[in-house]
Amino acid sequence: MFSRWNWVACGFCLVLNICSPDASGGLVQSCGHIIPESPVLALGSNFTALCILNESCLDFGNIYANQIIWKIKNKLVPKEQYREINRTVSSVTFNDTSSLATPLTCNILADGQIEQNIYGITVTVGLPPEKPKNLSCVVHQTSRFTYVMTCTWNPGRHTFLDTQFRLRYSWPEEIFPDCIPKAVNNSCTVTDIQFFVNTEIWVEAANALGKVESDPLVIDPIDIVKPLSPQNVSVSSGILPTVLKLSWENWISDAVMTLKFNIRYRIVGDTNWMEVPSEDTASPRTSFSVQGLRPYTEYVFSIRCMKEDGVGYWSDWSEEKSGITTEDQPSKGPPIWRIIEASHTPDSWTVHLMWKALKPFEANGVILQYEVTVRDKSSLSSPPKKYNVTSTNHTLQLPKGTYEVTVIARNSVGASPPSVLLIPESNSKAPVENLRTLPKHDKLWVGWTAPNSYVLKYVVEWCLVSSSSDCVIEWQIALGDVQGIDLKGIKPFKCYLITVYPLYADGQGSGQSVKAYLKQDRPSKGPTVQTKKVGKAEAVLTWNHLTIEEQNGFIRNYTILYKTIDGNETVVTVDPSKTEYTLSSLANNGSRSGPDFTFTTQKFGKGEIEAIVVPVCLAFLLIVLLGVLFCFNKRDLIKKHIWPIVPDPSKSNIAQWSPQVPAKHNFNSKDPMYPEGSFTDVSVVEIEADDKKSFSEQDLKPFDLLKKEKSTSEGHSSGIGGSSCMSSPRQSVSDSDEGETTQNTSSTVQYSTVVLNGYRDQTPVQVFSRSESTQPLLDSEERSEDHAGGADSTAQRQQYFRQNGGQDETNADRPCFERTKQITHDNEGDLVGFVQLQISGQSSQPFGLGMEKNTQEAALSNVLQICTEGQTVRPETVEENPLSVDEMPKSYLPQTVRQGGYMPQ
Amino acid sequence: MAAADSPSTALRRRDLCSRGIRLAGKMRADVVDLLDAYVEQQGLDASASVAAVEGVPLAAVEHWDEQTGTQRLLENLAAYRAFRALLAQMLEEQREQLGEADTGLGRALAAVLLQVSAFAYHLEELLRLESRGIPGEEGDGPPPPPHLSLFEQKLRGLGVLRELAQWAVRSVRDLRQLTKPSPATGAASGLAESP
Repeated sequence: MFSRWNWVACGFCLVLNICSPDASGGLVQSCGHIIPESPVLALGSNFTALCILNESCLDFGNIYANQIIWKIKNKLVPKEQYREINRTVSSVTFNDTSSLATPLTCNILADGQIEQNIYGITVTVGLPPEKPKNLSCVVHQTSRFTYVMTCTWNPGRHTFLDTQFRLRYSWPEEIFPDCIPKAVNNSCTVTDIQFFVNTEIWVEAANALGKVESDPLVIDPIDIVKPLSPQNVSVSSGILPTVLKLSWENWISDAVMTLKFNIRYRIVGDTNWMEVPSEDTASPRTSFSVQGLRPYTEYVFSIRCMKEDGVGYWSDWSEEKSGITTEDQPSKGPPIWRIIEASHTPDSWTVHLMWKALKPFEANGVILQYEVTVRDKSSLSSPPKKYNVTSTNHTLQLPKGTYEVTVIARNSVGASPPSVLLIPESNSKAPVENLRTLPKHDKLWVGWTAPNSYVLKYVVEWCLVSSSSDCVIEWQIALGDVQGIDLKGIKPFKCYLITVYPLYADGQGSGQSVKAYLKQDRPSKGPTVQTKKVGKAEAVLTWNHLTIEEQNGFIRNYTILYKTIDGNETVVTVDPSKTEYTLSSLANNGSRSGPDFTFTTQKFGKGEIEAIVVPVCLAFLLIVLLGVLFCFNKRDLIKKHIWPIVPDPSKSNIAQWSPQVPAKHNFNSKDPMYPEGSFTDVSVVEIEADDKKSFSEQDLKPFDLLKKEKSTSEGHSSGIGGSSCMSSPRQSVSDSDEGETTQNTSSTVQYSTVVLNGYRDQTPVQVFSRSESTQPLLDSEERSEDHAGGADSTAQRQQYFRQNGGQDETNADRPCFERTKQITHDNEGDLVGFVQLQISGQSSQPFGLGMEKNTQEAALSNVLQICTEGQTVRPETVEENPLSVDEMPKSYLPQTVRQGGYMPQ
Repeated sequence: MAAADSPSTALRRRDLCSRGIRLAGKMRADVVDLLDAYVEQQGLDASASVAAVEGVPLAAVEHWDEQTGTQRLLENLAAYRAFRALLAQMLEEQREQLGEADTGLGRALAAVLLQVSAFAYHLEELLRLESRGIPGEEGDGPPPPPHLSLFEQKLRGLGVLRELAQWAVRSVRDLRQLTKPSPATGAASGLAESP
């Protein structure tokens, strides 16, 4: 199928293009063509093209105009733009050529399907040239005899087409060849220029869409000449030191045009040009003498020219040529000043004369030497002294007095007028007033108020203040009619000391000084702070003044910033004259912070320690004193307690006790168990172990150590009486076997050995063995633990109770059981009774301490005060309550009953 | 005639005279330079005596100061038209002899030719301003040049340039005379001559 259609198409092509009967001399004969052929169209215009079919193709191919389709660059043109003129002609219309592209083709649809190209054209779209504008021409002189004219113009918009520009010029009866620009479209240069004839010049622009001419420029080329600048310029000095002669050559002949000139000149090194008045050089010439110059000064000259009538253009400036004027005598004397120093002798001075070298325009040459003349005004008879100096200073040793110093500068031509300085013996004249300074850009203005008297001139001294070197004085002289000058060369951020002296015809005023800065900056560093003294609520800070180099300006104040550790910051401003500040109540302009400095105030303020320590010491001493007095008064009582009369245990009835024998059975009411003097006061506290839980911890603290014994040896305790108040009991071995060894010890205290009683339901077995040991009880308790597993007898012997009978003991710091009243027996020194404090395990009162009568005991109760956390329980008091023999024990020993408690015996 | 001049006409005449004078001055300077180049180029002696060129009015005339302005303009115009033809002929001969190689002398000749043409134009304009008819060139032109030898051509060229130099001087004087307020010349009164 495809092959069949392919052959059909090929055959059709042959019919259309090759087998055309109109083929004339070529192999290809188109079946049609487009009119116009390759048009150039104006952008934005409308355009119509016609496709005309050959008649011959109609017959062979059945091709007609209604089958024509138009394409722009293979893009189909809408059929609305087609129009069938007749059966062989089809047109297409474009309202705007900007939509056109190349190629525009005429095609045909054979059999309504096969598209075949008939013809194509190239369409060029562009713009017609705009009228060239702003035509202007300049005739440049290129050599002595040749001139070229260059004309420029504005070519207008881009046309998108090849546009030819040509510069045309003519005389009324002479047409010159056109000037065609090369590579540009806005300028052209004409070489055969003829002067003195008005020439009409214009520009013609042409492209495929049109041709346009600029407005003509009618001008005589001589009026637009830019001549070459004068050549071979030379400068020569004349006789006068203020004149230089400038010579040159003109490269344009007078026959062409006459010239006028501009001459400019400047001093070498200066950038500002000066010009000779133009009216002085408005005529043709080849030389000119420039006057009014400075002597001995090098000048640079340059010259230019143009047509004398001013019509045309100035030439470029010529090359620069320089020349030096000749020397002249100095125009003025050197400014002179002096520094007077005290000499080694009081009647003489060291006078440093100094003068300034003359400026070049004042020296007018090379200064060969200075002639210094010193005349003593106070001694008219003495001849003046003369010195020839080549430097600008001279030092003299002169007796004090009034002198007139004259300095003359001399060069090769002559001498300057003299400079005179009067050096009075004293500066007794009026000084200037209101001396002040004001920075003005890079200068420092110094102003003052003139004194009332006529002042010849002022001398302004200044020097850079430095901490490391001396003040090097610079100075300047101001005329007497001014009241201020600008100081140059002042460095910013530096301190200058400025002094102004008024000079009078007959003397000199004293100098007035002021310190000034041209510019100020913040200090280059901050002061380093130290603490001089630190108190509880204050600190004294000290610092040093910054050096003058570090200040960079006047220090207005010091600012102290301090903050507490929690960040509260406080700012304090301090007068700049101070170097110390006290921070109490521990409590910018340009500034520089010093290094951070941390300090800590003291915990106690000044005197507080003394205020605390002294009263405490006094109180302590007072207490000691009172204690001593008390002891002194109560020495008998103390003696009785400290050195009690201890009965000989060997002679005591108790010596018959046997630890192994229950005490109960030893009690014999008939026997005098307690011989007189055997006991002092004995307090017995009975505490049953089961009641432990009813006490508070604090109450039980005294029994802590006793707890340890609970698990090992019931009934072991040291907490009887005073011992229960942690009164440092000492071990006292009071075993019956050792009774004799302790008998003779005067400091012994009676102890008793408590023999274990029964636990709960067990029958208590209580054996007391009195001891006179003074060893700490606690130690024995600790050791008792070691022997907890030992034999009962051993354990029993190691239980000691301190006997505190009759001795007041105060333990205010902790709960205690305090016996406040002794049990008094009939016979002093004997046991008259004891208070048995029994803490019953069945007591319902936690702190209830009841005095119970043990059926096995005959307890005489006295006043017992129990002091527990401030609470006082006064137990029942029993005084000399007669008991039966069975009930009354033979002896009364203090006991503290804990678990498996100790029972009074 | 001067009294009838409008201001614009007077200005135009003054401008033409001024330019004519300056053109004649430059033309003379260029011709003098050209003479030196020509003598050297053609191998002639600068002091060679040359007969008067045929067809060119002599610059030196008697009673020059008695001529009217128009008469001066007409004589000048006739002379410069003759110079234009002679210089064109010289330029042609120059090209025939030396081809385009000697561009220096040829350019100088062409430049002088242009100046002569320009001056002739100035004269014609001045004559128009005086409402005078401008004579036709055909009848007044120089006769066809006779066949001359090369040396004769060179001598004639030397003579043309010398005469042109003299005419340039006379033309300056004539135009200055025209600018002077002289009733005899009928030139514009009150017109000052430019330098």
